[in-house]
Amino acid sequence: MKFIGLVLKSARRSKRRTLLTVMSVAIAVFLFASLRAVLDGFNAATEASSSTRIVTLRSTSLFFSMPTSHAEGIKSTPGVQDITWANWFGGVYKDPQNFFAQFAIEPESYLRLYPEIELTPEDRKAFLDDRTGCIVGDGLAKRFGFKVGDKVTLQVGIPIYGTRDFDFNVRGIYKSGGAAVDNQSMFFHWKYADERSIQPGQIGWFIAQISNPDEATQVATAIDQKFANSPNETKTDTEKQFQATFVSMFGNLNLLLGSIALAVVITTLFVAGNTMAMSVRERTTEIAVMRTLGFPSSTIFLLIAGEGLMMAIVGGILGVGFARLIVTPDLMQAGAFIPVFGVNNTNAVTALLLSAGIGIFAGLIPATMASRLKIVDALRRVA
Amino acid sequence: MSIDVPEGEYLGLMGPSGSGKSTLLNLLAGIDRPTRGSIRIGDTQTSSLSERALAGWRARNVGFIFQLYNLIPVLTAFENVELPLLLTNLSKKQRRDHVMTALGIVALTDREKHYPRQLSGGQEQRVAIARAIVTDPMLLLADEPTGDLDAKSASEVLTLLQRLNKEYKKTIIMVTHDPHAAERATRVLHLEKGTLVEQVDRGPERPALQV
Repeated sequence: MKFIGLVLKSARRSKRRTLLTVMSVAIAVFLFASLRAVLDGFNAATEASSSTRIVTLRSTSLFFSMPTSHAEGIKSTPGVQDITWANWFGGVYKDPQNFFAQFAIEPESYLRLYPEIELTPEDRKAFLDDRTGCIVGDGLAKRFGFKVGDKVTLQVGIPIYGTRDFDFNVRGIYKSGGAAVDNQSMFFHWKYADERSIQPGQIGWFIAQISNPDEATQVATAIDQKFANSPNETKTDTEKQFQATFVSMFGNLNLLLGSIALAVVITTLFVAGNTMAMSVRERTTEIAVMRTLGFPSSTIFLLIAGEGLMMAIVGGILGVGFARLIVTPDLMQAGAFIPVFGVNNTNAVTALLLSAGIGIFAGLIPATMASRLKIVDALRRVA
Repeated sequence: MSIDVPEGEYLGLMGPSGSGKSTLLNLLAGIDRPTRGSIRIGDTQTSSLSERALAGWRARNVGFIFQLYNLIPVLTAFENVELPLLLTNLSKKQRRDHVMTALGIVALTDREKHYPRQLSGGQEQRVAIARAIVTDPMLLLADEPTGDLDAKSASEVLTLLQRLNKEYKKTIIMVTHDPHAAERATRVLHLEKGTLVEQVDRGPERPALQV
């Protein structure tokens, strides 16, 4: 404890350098925690996926649709209890920058299959009864100030829906009851969109409720076999695999974000290490004096390493603090793709440990240099 | 070279550059190692101690005064003097008492909160002397302690060293180029090229502290 004052005083020797070192660690930790939050968000959605829901898409891609006639074929497959469907709408609310996800759904069955969409019974009824009604997540409502009864106009984003704007009545604001559903989306009646589509009767994806999760693979195979060799072949996966496929559309996120985080951390390690080595070089005489006064090499090592560790941990706390403040679905507007978006406790602790790791490794060489200093040579260098 | 320094002696080491006086001082302080021969200080054969043991021995038994004071610039006078005490088991209050006593001896209690840059050269050297004596070591080693001071400050520092020798019975070994400084010592050794060429004795006989 009595050496902490000494460490603090040493760190304050060059305030600007200490501040820059702390900030470089803070930025590295912030980036690490933020990137980790993106991956955690995607993984949380995947992990929270229902094991009793399977998703059927066109085998070619998510971007191709299927005829409504597939519904009967899927529903009649043994093991399937219920089905629903949805289309990606891709509309624009006032400005393309106001992006959020909009889904044209078969409302009754969709709400049945997705109990995670939590609505009051009144809102649910109002939504089901209004062909041009829509429901929005509470996060989205907060973002744009939507209230029940508001009129929301979306410009058409995908040419298949013509050129005329779509008007919707906000009939309910839902809460997300699980990571499988975000609170930043808008749902409306599939029929409303379909009746103005230039290619009516097209479905983006079907969701089937199955009775036994253990039979998911067999049921999926049975569905796909039904449509094999047809013009609209399908690919059915569990919801978890579907989520993973959705994430993979962004590329290998784990590798990409992991590489960025690693590069940032390694760069910071070098910067902090170099700064500390400079600091030790400048203090050569002081260290020699302390050794002359009787400070053992091990104490000198701990003092220098402790200084690095302290700066890195302060940077880590700042970085994690900023990340927790800034990386939120509301501020980052990422809820449409990442339902659970934020720096969770595990991420925060990992980031803090990382900062401590940066401090330890950055301080290792300078601390070794300092502790191995030959007193007489170091004193002679200045004298 | 073989020399004995009696306990309580004030020994001056003189000689031209390269004569080995600073090397001898460093060997005595245990911050340099002899390639041959042995050094015994009091009951301890310091030349055979390990690095760690030597550091501990230094902390307990030696006070070192540098030509350029070598105070830590980010620490106050108080903190600089307290530095060697951080290696002891003394409580904060005990450390404070020791520091204030040492600063009192060098007449700088009113400068305890000053940083080295706020002190004159003479004051800095007195703080350095306080740091050297705060652990109450038996041996004070001074490497040209007045080499960077004006005549007045140098005289004050030399008087202080003399007082530490006479009043507090400290054994002092001082390297100097300055004949006036050497006059304060009770015995002066003249070295040349690593050998003892002359010895001038000014003081009374004392019990031997074998070096």
